[in-house]
Formats: sequence, structure tokens, C-alpha cells
Amino acid sequence: MNAIRDKYAIVGTGKSRLGQVGATSLGLLEEAIKHALDDAGLKNNEIDGLVVRGPDDLYSHHQLVAQRLGIDVGFSTSLDNGGASQILAIILAVMAVEAGMATTVVCGYGRDSWTRTHASPSAHTNNDLIPAAQRPREHGPEFGHFGAVSQHAFGARRHMFEYGTTREDFAAVAMAFRRHALRNPEAVMKKELTLDDYLRARLIVDPFGLFDCSLNSDGAGAVVVTTVQRARSLRQKPVLIKGFATFNNTKGWIAEDHMISTAAVKSGERAYNMAGLGPRDVDTAQIYDCFTYMVLTQLEDYGFCKKGEGGAFVRSGALGLNGALPTNTSGGQLSEAHVEGMLQIVEGVRQLQGIYGSDRQVPDAEIALISGHGGNQVCHSTLILGSA
Amino acid sequence: MAEYAKPIPVPSIESKPYWEGLKQHRLLMQRCDDCGKFWFPPSLLCPHCTSDRFTWSQLSGNGKVFSYVVYHRVYHPGFATEVPYTVAVIELDEGPRMLSNVIGIAPDRVVCDMRVKIIYDDITESVTIPKFTPA
Ligand SMILES: [Zn+2]
Repeated sequence: MNAIRDKYAIVGTGKSRLGQVGATSLGLLEEAIKHALDDAGLKNNEIDGLVVRGPDDLYSHHQLVAQRLGIDVGFSTSLDNGGASQILAIILAVMAVEAGMATTVVCGYGRDSWTRTHASPSAHTNNDLIPAAQRPREHGPEFGHFGAVSQHAFGARRHMFEYGTTREDFAAVAMAFRRHALRNPEAVMKKELTLDDYLRARLIVDPFGLFDCSLNSDGAGAVVVTTVQRARSLRQKPVLIKGFATFNNTKGWIAEDHMISTAAVKSGERAYNMAGLGPRDVDTAQIYDCFTYMVLTQLEDYGFCKKGEGGAFVRSGALGLNGALPTNTSGGQLSEAHVEGMLQIVEGVRQLQGIYGSDRQVPDAEIALISGHGGNQVCHSTLILGSA
Repeated sequence: MAEYAKPIPVPSIESKPYWEGLKQHRLLMQRCDDCGKFWFPPSLLCPHCTSDRFTWSQLSGNGKVFSYVVYHRVYHPGFATEVPYTVAVIELDEGPRMLSNVIGIAPDRVVCDMRVKIIYDDITESVTIPKFTPA
């Protein structure tokens, strides 16, 4: 048996206000960390490790967070793997505690994307989320090619070509997550989404329309990681860290078949191995849903269905609360709020704690699989959690 | 002629020979002196075998559309009158993949794997960008 499996736990979770908040990323992260510490029953001076991520233009982000928390810490860093960072933070926290560098680590991410893109009339088209020095200056912008929507849309298009996947399949993902969001009072989206709404919505970068794209949100999430031994003296029922992995298709998104068979394949295999589990053991999945298509391909890549059969799988109702694989049960980034995978971790933990009423609780949830995806579409991370 | 309103590519130290080639209507990429393979975008080591010996060599300009998208949203004012337009991942016959536009065909008639050939678009007196059209 893997030496790390079941030795560490998540003992507290927190979220900030979500949506059109009007706040700084650091302030949002403070809110989320406060809630996570309260949830765990811990004081700031009991935290001796910090692994965080914020906007890409905040230098040494973790220092700013620790300063606001009023703590000196043994292990502290900020991450740079985009949406794969948040699970990587938990992995690094476990590694730091295992190495004796810390005992109790806060992992979190805050973003102020809505506030930034509404700071001025031009802020939205200027895509002020990406620091100017990081924007490509050749091999893209001269063709009118900008940003993440179209990169992912390349994958969607190739998947449609190879496997006959349709926009109706993508719609099934968006509609399933919207139904979850309607049961989550914190979710930004409050209105039912019909197939007609989906198909009539304006196209952004075809094959993606408005409802294929995740929300532009302010928000933050945070969790506390420590040993199972220490967890026993804390307030919450701990949730066990059973397996984790990362894999990075760093040859590039447009290289080989990466856009239709993502780094989730190898990240998933490694995490399943560590946990001693397989896709059939998973009771709920919280999948990084920057775009509808990314859910569909990851469900295939994680082995919940065969490659090419994701469309039929999502149309079968599998993603619903009483489906074969209740997925993104808080509404996900498509309908709750987009906090780059951090809220997926929070939701996975809470489902395993069994804190929800029957309208939102996955029945008998014992194992959750959570995914993170990002960087330039090539970094992937996987976390498998289990109830204690 | 009206001023060119779209982004003008800014060559890096490493990509300069690529842009110089395009100006002469030649598609040049680095070809490894050891394993013979091409690569793109420009960098100092061959990503196939890590050799640091290469020669800038001319490609046929023929390839196929590996994937493509159609922009409806305007992300840059220079494209305001251009939407909907096609951006594609082109797989060149010599191996490398690159981003470009597919022109001379309606966006809804483009399909994956269709054959295309290069067209040189002289966007200013000193800059030429590669575009593709059905072969
Ligand atoms: Zn070589």
C-alpha cells in the first residue's frame, strides 16, 4: 500500500462571496481562509504552511497572503500551473508535512476577474486578466487568435470530427450543472437552462457558444491540510487524501492528440494507482469545467466511459444528482462560479462530509475524484478523496 | 492605403529568420542536421533529439487543417469587420503544426483534414504573414 495514502486529511473548507462581488483577489482569499480556519477550529498562529495562487501579475503572492494573515510560516509558495495549481497546492502541502517542513497548511486561490474586467469600459476587450508582458506577440495575435476559449474550441472541433460529438452533447453538460446550481444558494446562475436557450445563445468561438464557457467571477476558496493524526483533535470529521497525481502534456495542446486525449489520462492512472481505486469506485466527480467540452473529454480520459463515448454518457443523465456519476454538484465553473478549480475541491470535501440536505447530497458518497486543468491547456492534476 | 489595424507580429531573436523568409514569400523553419526533422515555433534545440545543429530550410507550404474554430466575438478592434473568421491549426506535410487563418472559403465550409496551401499576405511593407487556402 502507498505510504502516503490515508495519512493526510482535509480538515476545513471555506469560500468567499462569489460572482459580481467587487473586491480584490487578496481580500476574497482572506474571506475564504477565515471561513476555512473557522470550519477547522484553528487559529492563524496554528498555520505553519501556505500554498496559494492569485492573479498572475501579483509577485510573490503567498507573501502578501501570509502578511495579511499575520503569520510567519515554515513552508510558503505561490503556484503557476493555472487551473491545475489548486490540487497541486494540496499535493505540495502533503509533501511539505511529510518532509517535516510544516504541520498544518492552508491552500487557497482567489481571483477578482469580474472586478478587473469591469474596472473600465475597455477592460473587458483588453482581456485585462493577462498581464501585458505575458501576451503572445507572434504566432497567434496576427491571425486574430486570442485566449483560452479558442484553444479549447480546437479540441472540441477535433473531437466532433473524430467521434461525431455534437453541440447537443455539450449542452447536456451545461444543463446538468445548471440544475445543480439551482439547488446551491451560493451559485451565481439562478435560472434554468434549456436546450433551446443553449442553442439560441450567441456564438463566441464556434463550436463554443455563450453557455459552453465558464463564468467570469470574483471568488476564492481555501482548505486546510494536515495529518490524519492531528485531524482527530479538530472540529470536523476529516476527509482522507487517498490519491493524487499530476501530469503535464507540455509538448503543447496542439501537439500529437493532446487536445482530444488530455493529460487527465496519465494523471488519472497515477492517482487511481496511489489510491488503489478505479473509476468504478468513484461516487462523485468534480471536474474542471472551464468549457463544456473539457468535461466530456475528461470523463473519457478518467475512464468513466470509453474514448469517443462522452457524448452519449453525458446525455444519459449520468451527471445528475441521482445519475451514474453525480458531477460538479455545486454547479461548477459553468454555473456556480469560476475560481479555477478551488471550489471543486471544497465541494468534493463537503459531499464526503455529508453536510448537505437530501436535495443536494450525493447519496452514500464515500469517494470523490477532483480534477484540475490549466496552464496553456496542458497541465493536469487529480485528487482522490475518501470519507473517514 | 488605410493603416493596418490588426496586431503586427513582433519577431523574437530566435524567430527572425522565419519572418525574413516570409517577407521573401518562402516558408522557412528549422530542420535538424542530425535527425532531419522540422520543428516550430523556433527554439535552439531540436525537440525530437535535442541536437543543437539545425539549418533554416524551406517547406512546401502544403498541409491540412488539423482543427479550426470560427471567431464570432471581437477580441481586438482590428477584427471588428472580419467576424466570422476562421483560425486553424495547420499540420504541414513536413510535420510541424502552426496556427493560421483559412481564407478563400466560407467558415462553415471548412472541415478537419481538408488540404490547404500557403498564401503570403504582405500586411505592411516589412511584414508578411502566412495564411492558408483550400488546395
Ligand atoms: Zn533532431
